[in-house]
Amino acid sequence: MKLRKRILPALIGVGAVLLAWYLVCASGVVNDYVLPSPGRVWSTFLKMAASGELIKGVLVSLGRVLKGFGIAFALAFLLASLRILAPASEPYYEYIVQFFRNVPPIAMIPLLILWCGIGETTKTVIIVLASFFPMYLSIVKGFTGCDPRLLEVARSFDYGRGRAFFRVVLPSAMADILVGMRTSLGYSWRAIIGAEMVAASTGLGHMILFAQQMSRTDKVIVGILTIGIVGRVTDWLLGIVIRRFAGGTAQNGWD
Amino acid sequence: MDGIEIRGLKKSYTLESGTLHVLRGLDLTLEAGAITVVLGKSGCGKTTLLRLVGGLEKPDGGEIRFHSPRKTAFVFQEPRLMPWLNVRDNIQFGLRRGEIDPAATKRIIETVGLTGFESALPAQLSGGMQQRVALARALACRPSFIMMDEPFAALDHFTRESMQKELLRVREATDASILFVTHAIDEALTLADKVVLLSGGVCAAAFPIALPHPRDLMCDELIQARRSIVAALGAAA
Repeated sequence: MKLRKRILPALIGVGAVLLAWYLVCASGVVNDYVLPSPGRVWSTFLKMAASGELIKGVLVSLGRVLKGFGIAFALAFLLASLRILAPASEPYYEYIVQFFRNVPPIAMIPLLILWCGIGETTKTVIIVLASFFPMYLSIVKGFTGCDPRLLEVARSFDYGRGRAFFRVVLPSAMADILVGMRTSLGYSWRAIIGAEMVAASTGLGHMILFAQQMSRTDKVIVGILTIGIVGRVTDWLLGIVIRRFAGGTAQNGWD
Repeated sequence: MDGIEIRGLKKSYTLESGTLHVLRGLDLTLEAGAITVVLGKSGCGKTTLLRLVGGLEKPDGGEIRFHSPRKTAFVFQEPRLMPWLNVRDNIQFGLRRGEIDPAATKRIIETVGLTGFESALPAQLSGGMQQRVALARALACRPSFIMMDEPFAALDHFTRESMQKELLRVREATDASILFVTHAIDEALTLADKVVLLSGGVCAAAFPIALPHPRDLMCDELIQARRSIVAALGAAA
């Protein structure tokens, strides 16, 4: 059933794109430099995979993403919780947070390079900046959207603030938190590739930019395909982890 | 005396159009182990009274005196179950970790007729079953005082009847005091040891009903009681 309904159509979709790509290349309309054929990209991919170049790039970028994403999640969760547990503290940081939300992380790169150099710190900060806000906003939305009638039930059973938070607010916000995490993970990927293109000597972003400078369009395409696939795989893994962790909530938007 | 005494209870709400005085110095005594039913029209302050007694809101004046240490539980008009918890976990929601007793929970689930649905989520249950879970949740913490806000209003006739029987059985078994709010006269006559009419922000009248359960609503005493209640409600309006 799953094969007929999901896998087969997916294969047909991907196959159609590959076929179109192949036909365009085979017809000779475009130069091999502008659009290398699927066959050439495939053999480049195999070579890069065999030499370890690709896996190294993936691991470096992935490591940065996980680090930045983890920090951003902790910060977003902390600030959003603070907003619920101590509402009076909100105006102190809310305007600063909203200010940074409207500054694209890429625009911060010149300053970050000046302050932190082109080492790991700059990249971590960029990922944190890129992935913090979607998570922060959805966690806040999840927390504040908690049904007050359920909180009243907790109160009628003498729940304190902390206990009500962990047993009512947090579970009811789970779906929003998960959507925020998912969005943020995607943002992290985009940000790290951007950051690596500007200020890095390792990682997938740097690999793509370097390939461009060497006029190796096939490597550029391998890089792009890798980013898309790794992004999709991490998204899928996060889905599995979360499904297990958030049991009962089936309607959280994961496929 | 071992009950709850309410003296001069006042509560008003500020609205755009002015101040709405809901309770204007209400006096009421709730006897221990009895079912006191508060009867009144929509908007007469029944729910407000319940919320004040339950500590969900603060009164503007007056006092509520509890004569013995109590454990209270609330059953709301809607089931208000945690959608992410199954039936068993919802029922244990009011318990602290050390108080959870699987055997007791099992007994309560049996009492409310939900055996076999322990792992079901609220969304998989009918409205009546959800309300039974809510009742079980209140009972699970062995309250000595239960407040109920039109808990059976949304149920069909037969489910309501069986829930009322359930409640009477629970009262027999636990000796809990119950403050029950409704606008249905029949429900009041079926359950109450004392019916209190709420009107104009005070208790307009009280009708003790000393009949054993189960009651026949068509018996002379209850027909008589119903007549006086309807007359009093009419006079209050």
